[in-house]
Amino acid sequence: MIEIAGLSKTFGSGASAFTALKDINVTIQENEFFTLLGPSGCGKTTLLRSIAGFVDPSTGTLTINGEDILSKPPFARPVNTVFQNYALFPHMTVAENIGFGLEMQDRPKAEIKSVVGDMLELVQMTQMADRMTSQISGGQQQRVALARALAPKPEVLLLDEPLSALDFKLRKEMQIELKRLQAETGITFVFVTHDQEEALTMSDRIAVMNAGRILQIGGPKDIYDHPAERFVADFIGDTNFVDGEVKKVAGETAQVQLQSGKVIKARNVAGGATSGPVTVAVRPEHADLSAPGGLIDGTLKNIIYFGTDTHYHVQTDDGSTFVIRRQNQPDAVEAHEVGEKVGVTFNAGVAQILRD
Amino acid sequence: MAKARGFDIRRQNGFVFVALCCFVMLYLPIILLVVYSFNSGSSIAIWEGFSLKWYALAWQNDKVQDATILSLIIACCASFVATSAAVMAALATTRTNKFRGSALVFAMINQPLMIPEIVTAVALLIFFAMIKVYTGYTGLWYLIIAHSAFCIPFAYMPIRARLQGMDLSLEQAAADLYGTPWRVFRKVTLPQLWPGVLAGAMLAFVISLDDVVITEFVKSAGQDTLPTYMLGQIRRVVTPEVNAISTILLAISVALVIAFYKLSQRTDQSTKK
Ligand SMILES: Nc1ncnc2c1ncn2[C@@H]1O[C@H](COP(=O)(O)OP(=O)(O)OP(=O)(O)O)[C@@H](O)[C@H]1O
Ligand SMILES: [Mg+2]
Repeated sequence: MIEIAGLSKTFGSGASAFTALKDINVTIQENEFFTLLGPSGCGKTTLLRSIAGFVDPSTGTLTINGEDILSKPPFARPVNTVFQNYALFPHMTVAENIGFGLEMQDRPKAEIKSVVGDMLELVQMTQMADRMTSQISGGQQQRVALARALAPKPEVLLLDEPLSALDFKLRKEMQIELKRLQAETGITFVFVTHDQEEALTMSDRIAVMNAGRILQIGGPKDIYDHPAERFVADFIGDTNFVDGEVKKVAGETAQVQLQSGKVIKARNVAGGATSGPVTVAVRPEHADLSAPGGLIDGTLKNIIYFGTDTHYHVQTDDGSTFVIRRQNQPDAVEAHEVGEKVGVTFNAGVAQILRD
Repeated sequence: MAKARGFDIRRQNGFVFVALCCFVMLYLPIILLVVYSFNSGSSIAIWEGFSLKWYALAWQNDKVQDATILSLIIACCASFVATSAAVMAALATTRTNKFRGSALVFAMINQPLMIPEIVTAVALLIFFAMIKVYTGYTGLWYLIIAHSAFCIPFAYMPIRARLQGMDLSLEQAAADLYGTPWRVFRKVTLPQLWPGVLAGAMLAFVISLDDVVITEFVKSAGQDTLPTYMLGQIRRVVTPEVNAISTILLAISVALVIAFYKLSQRTDQSTKK
């Protein structure tokens, strides 16, 4: 279990000071596949390197299984890293790379040999054991980097965008393989990515980060269906933002009056507004078209066919655009046409009130 | 070779001529030196036929033998000491956080390159004279220490360049995999660094081998290295024996350069894709 509390990191000092991490609080469970998701420069790598020991946090505490690790140098921490550029040792063979961690731990030769053999099998690289690392492909290098980090059986494995250098197909394969490896080894994975789809498909839980902060932590479905902030809703998947006013709050739900005058039931978040103007998020696939007189009315501006589904762009009467996504049925005839007056409807509960 | 190729310095008028002049100036004297080392006469200006007699003479000359041995001892010791110091200095200036005065340290390491050699020589002479007064020691160590000192920047340059070009994440990966700093250095840094170390050591060796000024000032009576012996010879009678010794020194240097080139090529192939 990794417990991070009040962690912050400021690079430099004086006028050039830059705070890359602000008050990070997170608890990562054992055997969890935990993902740090956020745009470039939001501090994912900095947080990961703080756990590995290559960044010295300015404030805060960091414990692994109750043991403070901030005071320990990198080589004394029970974590291993898969670096973004793999950082394989070019003067060693594949097998020597994988055995490096064990060798540094002074494990007996026989044990190193058998563990390396197991690891080679695990990542399906047995045939390449004696190749130099410059003589294998990118995907193979990635697997070697993974095997090297897994071989010493760390308590936590840190992965910094390990798949970003791979092409699409290989990436999909490696995503499945990573999940399998995590299940087989039972090691806690802390995985960094800026690819929301990758995060959603692989993670047990996701922490969405922006500008040095963690905005929301939750399971993939939780984050997708109930984004707590505008940034999260916007960053993960497509979202419609609708302005409204909170009329009444009752526990988890609230009555929100839209600008059309209609009142809808929306999910509220902890710390959300209890009155006054709010923004409500509605996923395109959770809404549908109707005859005029729906929750929101407007004009159909665009119909875009995507194969698996069709997107309808509605210009609402208050001037914003609302996107609706409908799954296509075989041989269905398009019932709508551009320029038509339409209404937008969605079920109670799919709308989510956002913080701010 | 199309016409619209833009500016190409090789096609400027007189470029070939100037380039040729430079090469002639550089290499003609050396070629003549080598040629006359095979002269059978005792003149360094009049060709009298081919012979290896000056090589044989130099080989049998006790003084040349002693000077050669001394030169080699000093060059080996100095290049070892200078390279070790240079590795540490290069690590300290590239593998630590920027510290206050790191620019000053950098300048100080390279000091022997910038201060006129004669100044260093005089300073060392005076300094060692003081030590001699107090200890009475007149052995070889003065020369070894002096050579080590002025060879450090020559060894430092290629090592530092190599370190700067090395991927820091490799060392971090090794530390991440439970490597203590010393083992990371031995297992990851040094194997990558060694072409730089070798280049530094060879450079230091060659620089030490041909130094005259500082050696001349620091040496005690009777301590002649090959260059100071040759200087002494030239003051008296100039025979092709000097040419022969020079040619051998030249051959050693060229061999070292070629060896290094081949080695660095081979390691580059194995470390880079
Ligand atoms: N050593 C440093 N000195 C100063 N600023 C730094 C340093 N390292 C990182 N930063 C800054 O901290 C911020 C976060 O960097 P970080 O590498 O953690 O981003 P990231 O989320 O991993 O981005 P990416 O997805 O592009 O890898 C960036 O704005 C970066 O410029
Ligand atoms: Mg990063």
